[in-house]
Amino acid sequence: MNARNRSVSSSESIALADVNEFIAAYEASPRFGESEVRFSILRNFTVDGIDLFLKYRCYQAHVTPTISIGSYDTIIQEVMDKTSHVHASAPDVIILALLLETFAPDSTSPTWSADETQAELERLFSLIGTESQALVAVNTFIPPLHPESGLICRAGRRDKASEVAKLNQFIRSYVRERPDRFLLLDWERLALTLGAEGTFDSRFWFMYKSPFKKSFLDLYAQELAKIAKALRGMTKKCLVLDCDNTLWGGVLGEEGLHGIKLDRHTYPGNVFYAFQQNVLNLADRGVLLALCSKNNEDEVWEVLNQHPACLLKKKHLASWRVNWQDKATNISELARELNLGLDSFVFIDDNPTECDLVRTLLPEVTVLTVPQRLYTYPPILWEDGLFDAITASREDDQRSAMYGQERLRSLEQAKFDSMEQFLASLEISISVHEATAGELPRMAQLTQKTNQFNLTTKRYTEAQIQYFASDPSMAIISLGVQDRFGDSGLTGVLIARHIGESCLIDTFLLSCRVIGKSIEMAFLRRGLELLKARWGPVQFIGEYIPSRKNGQVAQFWNQAGFTECAHAAESDSRLYTTAPGYPGPSPISHIRVED
Amino acid sequence: MAISRDEQKLKGIMARLFRVDPDLITEDTSSETIAGWDSLRHMDLVTALEEAFGIEFTDEQILELLNYRLIKLVLKEHGVEFG
Repeated sequence: MNARNRSVSSSESIALADVNEFIAAYEASPRFGESEVRFSILRNFTVDGIDLFLKYRCYQAHVTPTISIGSYDTIIQEVMDKTSHVHASAPDVIILALLLETFAPDSTSPTWSADETQAELERLFSLIGTESQALVAVNTFIPPLHPESGLICRAGRRDKASEVAKLNQFIRSYVRERPDRFLLLDWERLALTLGAEGTFDSRFWFMYKSPFKKSFLDLYAQELAKIAKALRGMTKKCLVLDCDNTLWGGVLGEEGLHGIKLDRHTYPGNVFYAFQQNVLNLADRGVLLALCSKNNEDEVWEVLNQHPACLLKKKHLASWRVNWQDKATNISELARELNLGLDSFVFIDDNPTECDLVRTLLPEVTVLTVPQRLYTYPPILWEDGLFDAITASREDDQRSAMYGQERLRSLEQAKFDSMEQFLASLEISISVHEATAGELPRMAQLTQKTNQFNLTTKRYTEAQIQYFASDPSMAIISLGVQDRFGDSGLTGVLIARHIGESCLIDTFLLSCRVIGKSIEMAFLRRGLELLKARWGPVQFIGEYIPSRKNGQVAQFWNQAGFTECAHAAESDSRLYTTAPGYPGPSPISHIRVED
Repeated sequence: MAISRDEQKLKGIMARLFRVDPDLITEDTSSETIAGWDSLRHMDLVTALEEAFGIEFTDEQILELLNYRLIKLVLKEHGVEFG
């Protein structure tokens, strides 16, 4: 099970049976060279359920944990005794799991003050820090659920919530001041995430002194697994971002600088704004940022430089690949350029096809997809502690990540074979036919909106398109695209004019959505067949009128097998023709053509 | 005599939790006869049974789950059928 790319939300409830099954299957399967992390748990309550979840979460991260759990409430003895499990097991991390009720039994009394408890805590932390070289993970306490004085805070009386807050404040500062030795396991935040229902098991607390529900232990285990991953250098170092519908709402090439959705206050722009804030937080932590997007570069820089709500700037970027090349190749190039292993990368994109492509061809990269429920998008970067690092990493930070030339070469060869397989797996089918009356409005709209894959950028109104449709010397051919993920709808327009023995292609365009899978060639091939069927063996004339945005199609007619025959110097536009007996572009094997 | 689906489910849960062969579970199988059946495993058993059968035991019932025969009896009170 490749659990690396699967993020399990913390509120998903885990069935014990499934956890056991996963562990059994994982332990039975062959594992090679897996990292190992040794945990030693010092506790004062029944924490044994943690064993199971710690294995579960560490196995998902491909780390093997060794866990030793101390006796019920003999922490100090175990720390002082050099032969105890704490020292003998040579742990990487000592987990100090303290329940307030047991550590400070009079915390249940209304006169309890945190001061003495704090002093005891400090003595304990200091003792462990001195007696051991391991990292020490300590927890905050969970605040009381019910206010002791009801609605009123009584003057002159201690109140447990404030006392617990004081203790937690002390614990947080203590850890903050010792980043190379201590780590914080914030039970207060975990309880906040799960709520009382998901945290406390009153039944088992009273019956067996086991205070926590499985959901809490699982969430606790996830935090510990994050520590394990960080310790073994598995922290992700670079975030690669798509642009359209990832950094902002909408497609830049179609909506333009002022049409994309990116705004501090208004929905949905504010979701992307919040996401960008989180991206910058990562940059601030030292994570590298890169763009990998199918856009025109200068349009992207325009957004970064000029859009008032774009927080991300070019200066935040370590590198970028803004082009029409496939994203797997782009990310491989980024890895080479930044001198990082592919397993250091996280890639985020809104398009499931792009995500699938990268997931399939570059399995070491963690791939995130922008969720359907957009309001859940901004915190996606915090999932699984992907970027969480430990300041004093026990691993050699110089994890050399350079791919040898040979490895890259074979990667590229494998990529080519896989790319074909991948494209075939998409099950793309296209429908090409003369546009029906009902399709004409959409045809007109496409001529107005499409900027990038557009050979001549001629804009037509609905009335004009209707007129063409009624003119026997003209043909309007539409393209519909479907694949395994669904129906993309009408996404291409071919307008042709019959002139004597020739057929001039006035308009040939494709919507952004369907670029990059050779659909254009399949469309052209079938479109020309239809035109030949209608007007006989004509000579085709293709036109290319350069614009600010259609640079990517400059070579299109050449690629289709046409020959350049005229070039107007001032406008830089070109004409291309076909030779007699021109067979059309080669058929595309991974695309099925219907009529 | 064919074993009912629910009985199979029950044996499967106990087998996995206590690491025993399901075919070796008898009416008298209890915490006395199985090494791994301590109070911690007992809690896991309670949770696993509640999850698997979609029920909730009362506190008294938790204390009554002492051996295989008694477990079946308690489960029957919750509408589980053992054929």
